[in-house]
Amino acid sequence: MAAVSKTAPFGKPLPRIGVGAANGHHGELLQGVFEDRNGELHRGLVTLPLAKLVSKATFTCAATRDLTVRPGDKVKAALAARKTLNHLNVAEGGFLNIESGIPIGHGYGSSTADVVASIRAVAAAHVVQLQPSRVSQLAVAAERASDAIAFDGHAVLFAQREGTVLEDFGGSLPPLLLVGFKSTEGQPINTLHLPPARYDSVEIQQFRVLRALVAHAVRYQDPNCLGRAATASALLSQRRLPKQHLERVIDIAEGAGACGVQVAHSGSLLGILFDHAGKNLRQRAESVAASVQRCGFCDVEFHQINDDGATW
Amino acid sequence: MVALDDDYFRALELPRMAALSPDLIAAAFPLMKLMPARYILDRAVADGALEAGMRIVETTSGTFGMALALLAAARGYRLTLVSASSLVDTKFKARLDGLGAQMIITEDHAGNGDQLTRLKRLEHIRREEPDCFWPRQYDNLGNSLAYARLAELLVRTVGQIDCLVGCVGSGGSLCGTGTFLRAVFPHLLVIAVDTHRSILFGHPAGKRLLRGLGNSIVPGNLRHDLIDEVHWVGAYPAFREARRLLREHGIFQGPTSGAAALVGRWVASTRPGARVAVIMADDGHRYTETVFDDAWLGSLPGWSCSPPSEPRELMVIEPGSEADWMRFKWARRNLDQIVHDGLKNEGPSP
Repeated sequence: MAAVSKTAPFGKPLPRIGVGAANGHHGELLQGVFEDRNGELHRGLVTLPLAKLVSKATFTCAATRDLTVRPGDKVKAALAARKTLNHLNVAEGGFLNIESGIPIGHGYGSSTADVVASIRAVAAAHVVQLQPSRVSQLAVAAERASDAIAFDGHAVLFAQREGTVLEDFGGSLPPLLLVGFKSTEGQPINTLHLPPARYDSVEIQQFRVLRALVAHAVRYQDPNCLGRAATASALLSQRRLPKQHLERVIDIAEGAGACGVQVAHSGSLLGILFDHAGKNLRQRAESVAASVQRCGFCDVEFHQINDDGATW
Repeated sequence: MVALDDDYFRALELPRMAALSPDLIAAAFPLMKLMPARYILDRAVADGALEAGMRIVETTSGTFGMALALLAAARGYRLTLVSASSLVDTKFKARLDGLGAQMIITEDHAGNGDQLTRLKRLEHIRREEPDCFWPRQYDNLGNSLAYARLAELLVRTVGQIDCLVGCVGSGGSLCGTGTFLRAVFPHLLVIAVDTHRSILFGHPAGKRLLRGLGNSIVPGNLRHDLIDEVHWVGAYPAFREARRLLREHGIFQGPTSGAAALVGRWVASTRPGARVAVIMADDGHRYTETVFDDAWLGSLPGWSCSPPSEPRELMVIEPGSEADWMRFKWARRNLDQIVHDGLKNEGPSP
């Protein structure tokens, strides 16, 4: 997020350029409805960010109102850039360039990463620092439903349709190894075409306990509690966007002593979560990788989360 | 205008957590029944079943009525409570009167709580005033659902829980908390605490000295198939444990909390390494002239006999005396199965 604003040798100002980046994710650890401080219910989620997946945006200020974006189909990112300019009371537009390495449509959060990177780039170009909560609100304004990626590695329970934080868990997720994969029949999903999930009162009450598990997991860096929340949330999600063979994946995870199973609640990704400090980690991770492949899943990948550079 | 994050009752309904030993955590409520009472009323308002100024009617032996009375006073509802003479002392009745609750007290010569007569009286009131709201704590699923908040609090505090111990009256607290915890900890053991001559787990109905747990009807909120183990604690060991909680931990809770703590302590001592949570339902103020009065205790027949240090394991369910503590491996069976098996154990019925 560096702002470059220099004056060229002959006194003519160079165009101001801002750079912003944002991560993709591996779907959600938890998604449901949750109370705010006043007891009112909101849809909310806890994102599982992946540092390896990055979208990078560069914004070059222009003197006219025009705002152009490349690639041209990044419509929501362009809208987010415009909304950020409006927020900053800037009438002039600019040129927004996005380079993203995040696959589209499986639940990796490619769209939100583009949007957040763009907002950050525009702000940087105008030498403004936006708080994560402001970035989130601009992101929601641009794309209707967002995720918590503006908070980077900081774990929050995020109201994805309002762009607000229902609970700040006060730290990062515990160190994990994620074995991620997707189903072969998993077609890219347009998340905005999914109807908002409806939950009954039993599920709404169950979400309280799942939220408590995440809170405990962050506070005490307990990957097992996190895994239990993720597995329960994945099972509750089966009524909306069912994942084939989820029960089998849970069996595989339990057999390998993993902490739990996580899914993209509006995507085709699944993941098995391991305690990064666990014994024989590589052996167990490779064993579940082989098992899920035999089960018909593809694109198996290993992701380290908050590993602090620990080897495994 | 002062804006509060949490209203008074949302705070008052919460327990304080106490570590009774390294792996034994107690959730000590001042008035646990506020949790289901508030949840049920909030849901009823949201569903349109409870409107401003309406009358609420309920049959209750005490603390659920007290919770309703507090909420009704604060929220402007009229309240009629049906109770039995064996269950309500004058001071408690005076408190309810002071909250504006109308009390209907049935004569209860058998001393078993007289639930059926109370339900008939309640039915009569509802016929006369059809536009009233009956929370139905025994059968309203909201009673169980409310306890997700307790499960949430336990998990926030200690994370994984292996055993849950609690008294059963309506079944709401133990089965509600147990259901929500077992959804994330499938290995969870749910251990029910009842008292002799309560019919909940197969005793014949009879006079009970320990009140606030047990029942003379089987409520819908009791899910027998969740329960791994049942303990019947007599009044005397429960009273002693309530006194011990005060003397050794400075925790002033009522006698049902004593019964739960006694079982919880034993469970924790017999399962080293397992994390045990105990639900303690109300504080001790209501019992200052009984459980916490040496002269009153001394007047009880057989009080001076030495208390059991562990439960006696039963093969066939049978009630004991107020000094007894018994245990039965329920193994997540239905009541029908147990009663049927019990008959088989005793040979064919005539």
